[in-house]
Amino acid sequence: MGLDRRGFVKIVVGGVAGTLFTPVIWKSLDDVSIWSQNWPWIPRLNKGEVKSKAALSKLCPAGCAVKVKTVGGLPFAVVGNTANPLSKGGVCPVCAAGAQLMYSPARVKSPMKKVGEGKFEAIKWEDAEALLVEKLTALKGQNGKIAAINGDETGSAGEVLSGLLAGLGNSGCYMMPGEKFVAEKGVKLMGGSGQPGFDIAGSDLVLMIGADALDSWGTTVANQKAFAATRPTGGVATAKFVYAGPVLNHTAAVSDKFLPVPPTATAAFALGLANLLINAGAVCSAPDFAEYKALAAKYTAEEVEKATGLKAESMKELAALIKAAKAPLVIAGASFGQGAGALDFVAGASLNVLLGRVGGGMTLLPAAPKAVAGAGASDKDAGSFLADVSTGKAAPGVLLVYEANPAYALPQAGDMAKALGNIAFKVSFSTYMDETASLCDLILPAPHPFERYDDNLNPYGVAKPTYLAGKPVVQKPVADCKDPVDVLLGAAAKLGLSLGFDTYADVIKAKAKALGADFDALVAGGIWTGEAKGGSLNLGASALAKVAMPKADDKTLALAPMSNQAYGSATLATPPANLLAVRDTELSGKDLFVQMNAATAKKVGVAEGARVKLSAGKGELKARVHLNEGVAPGTVAVLLGFGRSAWDEFTKGKGDNVYKILTVSDEAGTGLKVWAGSTVTVAKV
Amino acid sequence: MEEKKQCKGCGGALPFLIGFVAMLVVGWVVFPKVIYSQKTQPVRFSHKIHQEQGMECANCHAFRDDGSYAGLPKNEKCQECHADVVGSDPAEKVYVEQYAQKNKEVPWLVYQYQPDNVFFSHKAHESFECKECHLEVGKMDTPPVYYENRLSGYSKQTMKMWQCERCHAENGVSNACHVCHK
Repeated sequence: MGLDRRGFVKIVVGGVAGTLFTPVIWKSLDDVSIWSQNWPWIPRLNKGEVKSKAALSKLCPAGCAVKVKTVGGLPFAVVGNTANPLSKGGVCPVCAAGAQLMYSPARVKSPMKKVGEGKFEAIKWEDAEALLVEKLTALKGQNGKIAAINGDETGSAGEVLSGLLAGLGNSGCYMMPGEKFVAEKGVKLMGGSGQPGFDIAGSDLVLMIGADALDSWGTTVANQKAFAATRPTGGVATAKFVYAGPVLNHTAAVSDKFLPVPPTATAAFALGLANLLINAGAVCSAPDFAEYKALAAKYTAEEVEKATGLKAESMKELAALIKAAKAPLVIAGASFGQGAGALDFVAGASLNVLLGRVGGGMTLLPAAPKAVAGAGASDKDAGSFLADVSTGKAAPGVLLVYEANPAYALPQAGDMAKALGNIAFKVSFSTYMDETASLCDLILPAPHPFERYDDNLNPYGVAKPTYLAGKPVVQKPVADCKDPVDVLLGAAAKLGLSLGFDTYADVIKAKAKALGADFDALVAGGIWTGEAKGGSLNLGASALAKVAMPKADDKTLALAPMSNQAYGSATLATPPANLLAVRDTELSGKDLFVQMNAATAKKVGVAEGARVKLSAGKGELKARVHLNEGVAPGTVAVLLGFGRSAWDEFTKGKGDNVYKILTVSDEAGTGLKVWAGSTVTVAKV
Repeated sequence: MEEKKQCKGCGGALPFLIGFVAMLVVGWVVFPKVIYSQKTQPVRFSHKIHQEQGMECANCHAFRDDGSYAGLPKNEKCQECHADVVGSDPAEKVYVEQYAQKNKEVPWLVYQYQPDNVFFSHKAHESFECKECHLEVGKMDTPPVYYENRLSGYSKQTMKMWQCERCHAENGVSNACHVCHK
């Protein structure tokens, strides 16, 4: 019997029928459907024990004491540390995104060496460190040839940088701008010394002149908690908050009173208030009171109104409020955390002296002990240094950039980036591929805050000496990175220098010991606090004599950079999660919106949505106009944090960078570089 | 002509039956062997020996303080006894030398690993005997073979949704989506 075609078909049909009574088809279909849900690019959950570990997050300028939630050892969320008496469980929007930022695509994944314009190749750590040592060795002992820019004003890393440079015969360790530096200069002008502190929690009226204390000024989370404590749910507010600044920002929005004051007029506004208070009977025992009184008399409310547009009546009402308060406090600063002059600070602080609140509301912090022998003072500013580099007055051969982004976050940022080009060999110690790192010749990736030891001494604004420290939350960093301080200490050893430490952890332990703090308790989420020192201040009258009443200018507008902490900082682009918070009246597509009130818009001939170009110095900024009646007259407000040319797909190329149009001027009498009072011309395009 | 007549009648339903039966055999006997690859655990762990030492399941497979289930123990737990070789079993030597001393976790094969979209709480199922859902490994000297589905990548013992649903229904527990899919 043979098998013909018909017989074969019968077998096949029988086979198919038989298959239907087996799991072959049904199970295969089921398994294929499961297979289709298991593509390799689908993220997998890391399973394991959920823990909460104390950490110090320095993603924001003030630093946050946080608890990092981990699963199986990997961070997945960040919450505030309720044990911290300052932040009381609060966390800022940048540090809240800390876990996400650990896995950011913008992280530098390994040491990188520049091999062409915008091109880098990954190299081994041994080679990278050898290259660093080679460059430093070549210039060792030649003062001015090795310089460093430090963007971390609270960490002991600055001491190591400074000590290393001193050991190499160089003194060029420069700080990125911040308010601490300016405030300390201001205190000197008032006959005192040390870092000023501000006790917001212990005041019943807080007047913030320019200082955006609930968003960008000082220890913002602690400030917010102090504010919240005065607003018990269902109860009566126990303190009044007043914001006098250029924009109705987050701070102004929740304050009891908002007075629109252009950034060019903060000192004049403070002196106007002083005049009203003195007229209402305020006196003090400061030796220069008579001189101060005579000076303030020139700043009548009517004169200030003429110069600023702020109603004299508003100032008088505010003066009455201050007079009625038992524990008033005045905080003066820039609306965006930098660029204000020492005179702006002195004008505000003099009100505290006048009101007898020095030692109570406004405090002075004692000088902190140094852990690294040979570390110098951090009182040189990076902006002046790079300006000197651009003119040839300074000619370093090697520049070390630590946790700083001068190519993006210094006034006239375009010029600063060009000045960096004059330096032959630049090294960036950065966690992320930022604008400065992308211009450097060697990038040595720094760990994310949850992967490293770090410390935080006296963040600007605290009322008494405060010290925090943190240790790594994860066992192994996500990227092939090394602690910059460990790298610098290793380089120092190879150069024959001994700074007394092998690791950054050792430096921090020594710092804690010098302060009398318990290192183990600190890294477990604790805090060390000391006592503010006593002392008195004068009114700074001789310095304030240089303050000039602002003059109205038909051709230019005052520029008010606005900070929104959620949108990042000078050293951090907007975290991807926070981009969702950006309003379409702030950024639409790639267009940044600048804000001005309707009267100002009419004056410069623009309307809602108009495309404009803001110019100042050599810098230009392109944007569109959004009308906002919360902006002071004669002022244009621009959000910080946009116009990134590096970082990641989420932030690169969106909007424009306001630092490009900030212009630096020398403050009369102090010689300080200031830019909080920058002005710009606005033209339609 | 005669040949054609023979062909018309040839076999009748026999070829159909042959094909039918052959595929039944393939489907029920061959297919299950082909669809799964067989794997063995990286270390021949003997539950039997550990049980003979007086240990109970919960000594290693414990609930954490927050009620979540620790599942398979990590080196940290194993090393409480096996930081060094303490017995004569070669499997212990493998564990100590290749994993514990190298601080490397053992990549155990989990027989009932569930996908990420399933939230399974051991705490909620605490009243059941382990063996009602898991292989009864307690008396085994050698871990059972791990059958991995070549298509889906899951273990043969991974519980399917219908099994969960049936048990829930039988025990009067809700089968609403959010009960297991958070």
